[in-house]
Amino acid sequence: MSAYTVHQGQLPGLFRLWAKLYKVHVPVQTAPGFYDFAPWEPDTEIAWDYDLTVNPLKRHLLPPREDLVVFDTRTYEARGVFQAPQQLLFGVHPYDLRAIAQLDQLMELGSPDRNYRRRRENTVIFALDPLRVAPDAFWSTLGAGRADIGFDLYWTKIGPAMFFVEVGTARGEELLLAAGEVERAGAAQHEAARRTREDTRRRADGHGLKFPWQELPRVMAKAWDAGIWREKSSMCLACGSCNLVCPTCYCFDMREELDESLGKGRRWRQWDACMLPAFAQVAGGHNFRGKHLDRYRHRYFRKGKYIFDLIGEPGCVGCGRCIKACTARIANPLAVFNRLWEEYA
Amino acid sequence: MTDKPKIAFFDFAGCEGDQLQVANLEEKLLDLLEHVELVSFREVMTGHADDYDIAFVEGSITRPEDEERVRGIRARAKILVALGACAHIGGVNCMKNFMDEAVYREHVYGHKARSYPTGPARPVSAVVPVDAAVPGCPIDANEFLRVTKQLLLGMRPTLPEYPVCVECKMAGNVCRYERGGLCLGIITRGGCGACCVTEGAQCWGCRGLAPGANLDAARYVMQDRAGFSRTQVQDLMRMYLGHTTAPL
Repeated sequence: MSAYTVHQGQLPGLFRLWAKLYKVHVPVQTAPGFYDFAPWEPDTEIAWDYDLTVNPLKRHLLPPREDLVVFDTRTYEARGVFQAPQQLLFGVHPYDLRAIAQLDQLMELGSPDRNYRRRRENTVIFALDPLRVAPDAFWSTLGAGRADIGFDLYWTKIGPAMFFVEVGTARGEELLLAAGEVERAGAAQHEAARRTREDTRRRADGHGLKFPWQELPRVMAKAWDAGIWREKSSMCLACGSCNLVCPTCYCFDMREELDESLGKGRRWRQWDACMLPAFAQVAGGHNFRGKHLDRYRHRYFRKGKYIFDLIGEPGCVGCGRCIKACTARIANPLAVFNRLWEEYA
Repeated sequence: MTDKPKIAFFDFAGCEGDQLQVANLEEKLLDLLEHVELVSFREVMTGHADDYDIAFVEGSITRPEDEERVRGIRARAKILVALGACAHIGGVNCMKNFMDEAVYREHVYGHKARSYPTGPARPVSAVVPVDAAVPGCPIDANEFLRVTKQLLLGMRPTLPEYPVCVECKMAGNVCRYERGGLCLGIITRGGCGACCVTEGAQCWGCRGLAPGANLDAARYVMQDRAGFSRTQVQDLMRMYLGHTTAPL
């Protein structure tokens, strides 16, 4: 696989060029200790050493609210709505890359999600190796510290002003070379990148699953009646925060509304969450997950077993966002999985 | 063509800010008026008729004559909609319910206090059955439109049942608790787009408790985890939620 060495000085020219073709999103510091992706502007300071962004990247592929159909109740006409801006996500950490790769697979299962697919096709992804590890992160022990697919370019910062850039796709390489010659990476740069990754991995490995992630579905299969479900869920606020900040949670609800003419309307989808009581409510007011316990357990079974059964890897990438977002401090896949391992392995 | 449904607006103890939100809809309101006949709305028109199908009632019920008047409205209206926090959950007026009656009467009416009977502030639903509500202080104009359209189409009006956190996360905000603040978004009914937190403030609970709100967990979060005192939490919860059965 070809790789290049890029110097900091080349970046402004490249970004200016990319910004003409794409809406470019980069990691920035939004407040001391808080990072998020924001649209790139010429004076944007990229947070090269961010540990975790508050929000995952799914909103760029599956927006919180997205129109799907517009219709006319008088003529009975309906038309699909597709919005898919050309966008470039720069600086995506491998665990988030893994999450997007999961969404790619899950949105293709059954009836392919055409709105998602169009957005995804128009999205360029430049990955970035993390230099710091967030306190709640455990991606390393879930095998999400490194990704081999799902990126157009993969950036590793190997010096104060130098990057090792691995090519993932022809589109990525073209964009890298669009502003002129770029130096090919030599053995020294390959080695520097490897060392950088090793450094990060060493720090990340210290905190995580106490068992191989491949064992998760086997452990979960025995844990339906575990005490932890009641213990943790009694403090659940049913606010859905854990779902909504999760990079792999993708459930949505469908709504319709007419405009003020009462003749034209639209159907849209908006993020939903399995921790919300109304999520599993059906006609007649019946609810097949009416209790906190049912919903809490369901989320961990989704992450540890159901998704695994579909695609062969856990539906959790270990980013730690839900741990941070849960005000009641009950959302914690790492603590739950480790405890179930101790009790049921 | 059948007759258009007749709608009327009424106000009790409140600031009429919710009706102002409706008036501010301007062109959208005019579009809506193609489908209804407005018979009473003192913020935008003169005249009044006692023949109406849908009554929007703003404000809380606090005086003996209020009770009588709202019963009359209920008797005449086919559908009664509580408009805004004061009508829906009692709202800020209920703060007085935690004071001595003589104190607040004296404060408001001075030496004439004896001539003005007034009691605890209550939501409209505490006096007469309410068919639907548009929550908030003030109401969200688009939610008013949605509820009204649903009523006109013969549908049962829907309100989000999830807490404010859902829309706060959709907006991409950093959690108020992560910034060391206090926030009632964890137990308050969503539908506002988490506008207050998005603008850098906190949630005060104006849309009322979300159905099934876990108050034990909320108290744990606010007091044990975030470290706010019982008084701080109580003050915040009494601001809008004074009439709820939440243990305050």
